[in-house]
Amino acid sequence: MIRRLPRAGLLWRSLVAVAFLALLLLGTLQGNDDRWPFAPMSQYAFAVHLDGEIRSTSIEAVTTAGVRTVVPLTPGGVGLRRAEVEGQLPRFVADPALLEAVAAAYARRHPGRPRYVRLELHQSVSRLVAGVVVGAPQDVVLAAWDVPDPQHPAGCCR
Amino acid sequence: MSAATTPRPTPATRIAGAWRSWWAPPVALGRIAVLRFVLYLFVVLDALEITTWPLGHGDVPAELYRPLLLRRLLHLPAPTEASVRVVLVVLVVSAVVAAVGRLPRAAGWVCALAYLAWTSNAFSYSKIDHDHVALLVALLVLPTVGAAREPFLRSEAAGWAVRCVQVAAVCTYFFAAMAKMRFGGWDWANGAIFTWAFSRRGSALTDALLAVPHLVVVMQWGVLAAEFLSPVMLWLRGRALAAAVGFWLVFHLGTYLTIKIHFLPTVVCLLAFAPLERLPQAWRTRRAGRGGGVSAPGAREVSSASERPRPANRPTP
Repeated sequence: MIRRLPRAGLLWRSLVAVAFLALLLLGTLQGNDDRWPFAPMSQYAFAVHLDGEIRSTSIEAVTTAGVRTVVPLTPGGVGLRRAEVEGQLPRFVADPALLEAVAAAYARRHPGRPRYVRLELHQSVSRLVAGVVVGAPQDVVLAAWDVPDPQHPAGCCR
Repeated sequence: MSAATTPRPTPATRIAGAWRSWWAPPVALGRIAVLRFVLYLFVVLDALEITTWPLGHGDVPAELYRPLLLRRLLHLPAPTEASVRVVLVVLVVSAVVAAVGRLPRAAGWVCALAYLAWTSNAFSYSKIDHDHVALLVALLVLPTVGAAREPFLRSEAAGWAVRCVQVAAVCTYFFAAMAKMRFGGWDWANGAIFTWAFSRRGSALTDALLAVPHLVVVMQWGVLAAEFLSPVMLWLRGRALAAAVGFWLVFHLGTYLTIKIHFLPTVVCLLAFAPLERLPQAWRTRRAGRGGGVSAPGAREVSSASERPRPANRPTP
């Protein structure tokens, strides 16, 4: 036995499916990430030139204990992932004070640990020759920020 | 086919019939029951173990929140420590209820909306992952089927839901290839994208792969070709379909072993291609076999089920 769909049921289902596909196609052809779920499937969708370079981002910090450390750009670390920092890279470079938000996120997640006094946005740049990484990566500092009140970054954790 | 009842089908009715049988093929409700069980439990796993960072976003100051268009349209506020926890609880509870087939519509819709809130939070800090689209589609279409208590009853509503999940999974691959052409062109396949990925998230395995000359370029062409060919899956049957699904499983295992990217939310949706309705059938047969001779009504139930015209053995909808 087969349970059929009435015509109206098939009609709205067809319209929904076609509309969803059309929006997905439009997003792929001319949309951007902002339109998710109708965004281009853009992970790893850019070309890397064989003689180009590979950049990898990190944030380093100096703590109230005077220790230099790598900021954990993970969900459990500061609640922000490396790719998210890279997605907002131009904002951090244009306005280094935004790094204080990272210090605030760390202070909220780890109230017992030393706070960040200074944050630096680093990129390690590896050079490609004919598609092969050559030489040691070069370290570039893109932005730095001294937190005015390290115990209460961005006014948090009072 | 319904068109067979009319003596001379016009081209219009023939097209309508073909449309109906492609988009809403009769599929046994057992497939929906198994899909629900697996996908809704996967949602719990996803929220608690895989896509966990929306919870962390509750602690991130709102200056770093870059809401997606969807969240702006719905006027969803920046995630807070409290709001992410509420969404998580609603998501997990509704998914567990829907997984066991209770309140398939109400729990299903709540789960779909909570998952949309969860994933849109995940992607509102300037990084999108495109592996969640098929699962999101699955959660949006599964409630439309309603109750799936009769596993051997074939339903067109079930067929539409299954077809949508299949199409969404294929779109994830095919549109990824189109995006590669849009942003990288043919240079994508001839360039150093895998070297880029391997060197950023590398391991001993990726170092070994990079040591083989030209291997990454061959792999890049392979991925691009497979993604462009993925729509073929919608017309494959039997072993050919199983081989295609198997190829993608191996591909995702490969990306996980090399760059720790698993694409599990898409992988579980590939289950929509499998004749899952055989599981309830096998389970009933086994249960009856174990109680064989003791429980006559149970045995009778199984024999009547196996006397059906075996729709469950069709490899695809």
